[in-house]
Amino acid sequence: MSEDRGERRPRPRGGRRPRRKVCSFCVDKIEYIDYKDINRLRRFTNERGKILPRRMSGNCAKHQRQLSEAIKRARAIALMPYTVE
Amino acid sequence: MNRYEMIYIIDADLEETARKELIEKVSALIANNGGEIEKVDETWGKRKLAYAIDYKTEGWYVLVTFTAPVDLPRELERNLQINENVLRYLVIKLVEKKHSVKPRAERPAPVAAPAEEAAPVEAAPAAVEAPAEEAAPAAEEAPADAE
Repeated sequence: MSEDRGERRPRPRGGRRPRRKVCSFCVDKIEYIDYKDINRLRRFTNERGKILPRRMSGNCAKHQRQLSEAIKRARAIALMPYTVE
Repeated sequence: MNRYEMIYIIDADLEETARKELIEKVSALIANNGGEIEKVDETWGKRKLAYAIDYKTEGWYVLVTFTAPVDLPRELERNLQINENVLRYLVIKLVEKKHSVKPRAERPAPVAAPAEEAAPVEAAPAAVEAPAEEAAPAAEEAPADAE
């Protein structure tokens, strides 16, 4: 384990490396995530209506924070569901 | 004064005249309390709710943008809470777009300050003269200070 340190880093085995995700809000240059834009927000919830974690959505921390706020606002005024059964 | 955005849901079963009246009432409430209405957007109209509220599956959405003193949203929410025909409301303070780049560029003062402080250590008399000299051009124009 620690003996490997000095040598070159072992390549992840299995061959397939997960592609680096990019924050879609940064790509679209969105400064403020609008809670009324449900079509966009819906992409970041799963089929149960839960907010996707960053590791799934690939959002940056700044936008994930804004996004969760926006989704929660949308839920409060019945634009998005809290749960889908 | 802040800019706010309010969205509220009126009972869809309410007939049109009563609905118009309610919208008028809310608008009047904002105007009478020192607020200034920017826009009342009714284009949303009747929408299906994402979940049932009081066993109702539809609601009439109204979106209002306004400028108001800080204590108005509370009063507004209090009134909406009382009204039975308002199913939900949400008042949000709109964030002004921050141009953080500009204010930073406007003050090269912190850069110039260490240079001024360094001078008095080397020569005390020079320091006495320096602020006097610098004070005059600085008052006239900021770029002179940087030099």
